[in-house]
Amino acid sequence: MSVKTTTLPKKYHEAVLRWKDVFLPDYEFLIQNWDKHFPNDQTFELCAYREMGMCTEIECGDQKGKPKAQRASELPEEAAHHLFGAIRAQASTEFGSIQQHRLTLARAQEEEEQFWILRMMAEELRHGYQMLHLLAEDDWSSVSKESTSDVIDDILSMNTGSHVLGAFNIDFDSFVDNVVFCALIDRVGKYQLQMQKISSYQPMAESMPQMLREEAFHLAAGVVPMRRFVTAAAKGETFVTLDVLQKTLNKWIPRGLEMFGDERGGGTNVRLGLKPMKNSEAQQAYYKEVEKLVRDLNLRYLRARMPNLTHGESEAVLERILAGDTVEGVRRDDLLYMPHADFFRRRGVPAFRMVGSQGESFGSAQEYLQHLVRTLPESYRAGRDYKDFVDALLQIENGTLTLEQASGRMPALRRVAGACPCSKSVRWVVDEPAARVAEPVAAQPVA
Amino acid sequence: MTETPGIRIRPLDEMDISDIVVIDEKIGGKYRPEVWERRIGYYLRRDPESSVVAEVDGKVAGFMLGEVRSGEFGLEEPTGWIEVLGVDPDQQGKAIGRRLAEAILEHFRQRGAHSVRTLVDEEKQADIRRFFGALGFEPATLRPFVKAL
Repeated sequence: MSVKTTTLPKKYHEAVLRWKDVFLPDYEFLIQNWDKHFPNDQTFELCAYREMGMCTEIECGDQKGKPKAQRASELPEEAAHHLFGAIRAQASTEFGSIQQHRLTLARAQEEEEQFWILRMMAEELRHGYQMLHLLAEDDWSSVSKESTSDVIDDILSMNTGSHVLGAFNIDFDSFVDNVVFCALIDRVGKYQLQMQKISSYQPMAESMPQMLREEAFHLAAGVVPMRRFVTAAAKGETFVTLDVLQKTLNKWIPRGLEMFGDERGGGTNVRLGLKPMKNSEAQQAYYKEVEKLVRDLNLRYLRARMPNLTHGESEAVLERILAGDTVEGVRRDDLLYMPHADFFRRRGVPAFRMVGSQGESFGSAQEYLQHLVRTLPESYRAGRDYKDFVDALLQIENGTLTLEQASGRMPALRRVAGACPCSKSVRWVVDEPAARVAEPVAAQPVA
Repeated sequence: MTETPGIRIRPLDEMDISDIVVIDEKIGGKYRPEVWERRIGYYLRRDPESSVVAEVDGKVAGFMLGEVRSGEFGLEEPTGWIEVLGVDPDQQGKAIGRRLAEAILEHFRQRGAHSVRTLVDEEKQADIRRFFGALGFEPATLRPFVKAL
């Protein structure tokens, strides 16, 4: 196994450094304290890594067995178009997640967990840098219709609200969001990176292994604190209750599911050799994995609450509680549950179908909104993202908007002036329905 | 990683914490989730591919955690260290430990290690000693020295 290390051309490298100074001001603090929190770990370096010695033949699709493309110009035009969109979206998510995490980083109660998130942010910066490296090292002008400089400029000027994928346009409200986001949204990222590891574009495939290694820790930076939260809650501490955790799961899981793209799509990526799974296949595997996470958290809670239980007994107690029994004061409503896959969706097949968190149906938008009051965090409901959902839902109900139009209409911040890594250059823009592509959206990559 | 009928070896991930806690409890009789949350976080941070788990029919049945380090104890060259392993007592006898070791040793080789080391308590862990002996491990002159404090 050998890894090739490179840096971006000077003007792009310096642009990323300037972006870092604005959106990751704690970077120097992280580096200064690296050895205290991560002793003997290799010091962080802002660079692109390419794994050498990977498979050089296309691994799926129509061209399986043929040599992978070393340059974008060797790709079929359709594949180059898809791939350019995927790289751009991936870069957007990497930078976008840092902008989200920084909002609430300082609110962490534990220094260790705060440094885990800070390290994760630095590694996301490197992942964004890796994607810019793919854009800068090749000529994408035939599909981008823009210069590399403009494409990179565009990516670095995005802000929360103007990113390509919805999950990266939602503000964090507390450190619970930092943690749950790592456990849920970075998990989607893991799936996308794993799928892209077989990309028919060799530089993309070679970019994935190091990103995946780093992503493994990002998931742990979410899951381990969540386990600690439920343990503390079981012992009666009142910092992060299971109710808060459940509502935060309800906030992020629907967005995570939508990041795989429309359930009907993804076949093109498989045919072009860019990914091995269709959207719905990857989405279902993800859902199953998060279900296991929720079950593990419930077992962790029960064993902290009833320390005399063995593992086998705790499994049995969990089944009894889920079946409706109350055991030592613990009821089904006291535990976490996995929200239904169609709950609170705004994209894909279940968009705006008004499905409840446990699969219930609702007869009117008002009834559904009351359900969302009970199931989503209050701070989230006070924000723009939720208001846009509600506006669209009400317009669907009164017939002024179709489901398809609503799915393509969610407002977003867009850059309307020159490139500048600050919010002054962006403003809220609502696309007209006709301006959006009506067909299912292909799966997009994520942080 | 390795695919063989019924047994799958793959890199460790954060979702394995619960299963490893259960295996550790079955072996040692103690429930130690905090220990494994911290420890698995450490290995995932360092090099997630240097630690592996075995799945039997989709369920975690064993684990082996380690990493490649250099510059310690006068060993300048990259050296693989196997630091902890466990196999579900209900799944023993299926050569799961051997499969785990083969996978981790292959990864150590890829990371440039020319030797692999571990520590075994010869008085209390005769079975572990036999296990490593069967894999070709031999006693070395590098010995731990201990002083009670």
